[in-house]
Amino acid sequence: MYKWFLAWRYLHTKMIAFFGIASVMLCVAMVLVVLSVMGGFLDTVRNRSRGLHSEIVMNSHSMQGFPYYDEFSQYLAKKLPDVIRATTPVLSTYGLYRDPAYQQTGPTQVLGIQLDDYVKVNSFGDGLHYQKYFPGTTHLGPQQMPVAGMAMDHTLTLPPDLEEANMRWRKSETDQSLIDRFESAPFEITSPEFPVFAVKGERQFATRVGLPGYVGPERNGIIMGCDIINIRRPDGNFDRTIARGANIVLTLMPLGPTGNPTGEPAAKLHLRYADDSRTGIYDIDRMMVYVDFDLLQSVLGMDSRQLVDGNFTKPRANQLLIDLDDGVDMDVAKDQIALAWIDFQENEIPLDLDSSEQMSLYKVQVLTWEDMQRDFIQAVEKEKVLVTILFSLISLVAVVLVGCIFYMIVEKKTKDIGILKAVGASGRGIAGLFIAYAAAVGVFGSILGLAVGCAFVWNINDIQDWLAWLNPNLRVWSPDIYSFDKIPETVKQADAAWVGVIAIISSMIGSLIPAYAAAKVWPVKALRYE
Amino acid sequence: MSTAILNAKGIHKAYKMGRGEVSVLRGASLRVEEGEFVVIMGSSGSGKSTLLHMLGALDKPDRGQVEFRGQSVFDQSKPIRNHYRNQDVGFVFQFYHLLPELNVLENIAIPRLVYHSFFGWRAAKRKSFAEAREMLERVGLAEREKHRPSELSGGEMQRVAIARALLNRPALLLADEPTGNLDAKIGTEVLAMLQEFNDAGQTIVMVTHDGCVAEKAHRTVRLTDGVIQADSGTRSGSKSKSGSEAGDHRRGDSGDKPKTEVV
Repeated sequence: MYKWFLAWRYLHTKMIAFFGIASVMLCVAMVLVVLSVMGGFLDTVRNRSRGLHSEIVMNSHSMQGFPYYDEFSQYLAKKLPDVIRATTPVLSTYGLYRDPAYQQTGPTQVLGIQLDDYVKVNSFGDGLHYQKYFPGTTHLGPQQMPVAGMAMDHTLTLPPDLEEANMRWRKSETDQSLIDRFESAPFEITSPEFPVFAVKGERQFATRVGLPGYVGPERNGIIMGCDIINIRRPDGNFDRTIARGANIVLTLMPLGPTGNPTGEPAAKLHLRYADDSRTGIYDIDRMMVYVDFDLLQSVLGMDSRQLVDGNFTKPRANQLLIDLDDGVDMDVAKDQIALAWIDFQENEIPLDLDSSEQMSLYKVQVLTWEDMQRDFIQAVEKEKVLVTILFSLISLVAVVLVGCIFYMIVEKKTKDIGILKAVGASGRGIAGLFIAYAAAVGVFGSILGLAVGCAFVWNINDIQDWLAWLNPNLRVWSPDIYSFDKIPETVKQADAAWVGVIAIISSMIGSLIPAYAAAKVWPVKALRYE
Repeated sequence: MSTAILNAKGIHKAYKMGRGEVSVLRGASLRVEEGEFVVIMGSSGSGKSTLLHMLGALDKPDRGQVEFRGQSVFDQSKPIRNHYRNQDVGFVFQFYHLLPELNVLENIAIPRLVYHSFFGWRAAKRKSFAEAREMLERVGLAEREKHRPSELSGGEMQRVAIARALLNRPALLLADEPTGNLDAKIGTEVLAMLQEFNDAGQTIVMVTHDGCVAEKAHRTVRLTDGVIQADSGTRSGSKSKSGSEAGDHRRGDSGDKPKTEVV
């Protein structure tokens, strides 16, 4: 009994115990913060990566693309009806974009998508800005520039369908704060000759007086990556520099079925800025633009073309995104689809394909979204492991520190050990006393450390804002670099539990050597100790 | 027939000093009868305390035997030796050796805390503290039970140490210069108290270098050159009462009249 009794008494009467508790507390808090932030970072990366693709991607690994994607879609739907929910083809190429209003030109990666199907297989739709406020108004088909109108009383009215969409949104939106924010957005006339209104931070051109409407020739829409044309503010929001419907010019290089440039002049597409997309991954949001699949296929020469012999080429796509039914195991489905692809090639494709077509089919790989983003995710995973190891090494210092503290305590308490042994305490009991003491230090240190760690993680963004307020150079988390607006601020219960338990065990391990030394000493030696 | 409570035979002990060895005990032998008050005298460094530590199993002899009631102490297992220290022997030190974090009552109760397991203590707690209070009253410090050792005088601390040593009613009390750190008046009081316990039947072996202290004992032995040299007689009115007549407080006391013997 004396073990617990004395351990408790030592705990609140010995100053040195507080140093032990403080060192355990700081280590627990430090490791918990690192685990939570890095874990949250990894989870966000995974979630966002998952949202980029569908669960399964058939990838051609070549800009040349692969034929028979449409036939294979239908084949899959018949062959694996309980596995496949939806499929959609994607084209991928590179080009140059130009924003004539801002005289800005830059390289870009262009995806050709069938928007209605594409948003079903991944979370692309969630990142569309205007779609969020005006549901149903973002599309990639031919469109004019929506123009806000100014009534005689200088209030702003939206184009009819935007107004209607706006009303729909207000009715369906459950987040009142979003509506309030919209309502309180300033409407401001910036120039009497050519009024420009700021709506929710974006600029909307308006006719001077009159009904709202649409202007300009019809052009296909383009969805731009949000970091291409917008300016990201430190708080993670954007300053939008161009109006919806503004002209964007895209220059592309068509490729023939053999994968060689066709020799035609570069294709120039005049498009209208329909929306911007935010996937949450900076590298994608600063490079990617999205246009209509059929349009891009035609411009790139990847649609069905008549050859000189009168035959037609098969249309090609670069990827086929496959969404799985709920509850279907992704890896099992991947194998099933890969087998189906082999069956399809053997049984459904004519035997007289030319070599480039055969090669393009041969190169198609069936991948999961994790395979697609492996390099990216693994880099973050490895970073998490590395940082956790580094901080665990630092925590080892805490174990050694606890060991030192206990060694000092045992040294200081050598006489007590002699007294206790003189009244019959066993060596094992004495060791138990110091291990119980260490466990108590570990328990209190862990509880305090978890409390401090949780409080820190939960308020980490406020803390950073406060630091940035003190000195802007202290802002360590830049959305430009990490692509997320906020530092992850969630603590996983399992992480907290593990960190706490390991800290308690580490404290006990730290006390083992001094406890063993205390157990071995003969009473008289301890009593003579000065 | 005489009843030896303690019988130490041919105790040898040497300590390493640098490269050499200093032989402290060279075959010291001592026999102590039930109820006896024996004083071990000797000059400083003669090995008195070392011998007492051997008797109380606080240290291990290089050679020789210590028998308690006919059983060799050092041939026993560690748990039995721990039990011997806890139940059969009470130790009083010159420098009191109280635990500074505990109050007076807790210090007295510590042998019971050591004896009982976590669950056993729950059942024994009330009785243990009642007995500790009783001991505290017997040493005249009833009103100081909540005080820390640092708030006590030397004499008071030694009384607490005596109460702790006797809480488990050990058959043998070993006292290592219990008055050595006290002034004459307080030392006399402490000695009187020990004498009182002895009168009540408590066997006491005490180490001292103070001749006046030795006068209170039944028997005085002298330790010279690592061996017990001589018996210097008994105090007046030596152990004439049996333990039961004096209000025996020990466990398993025989009450036999002691016989002094130099081995």
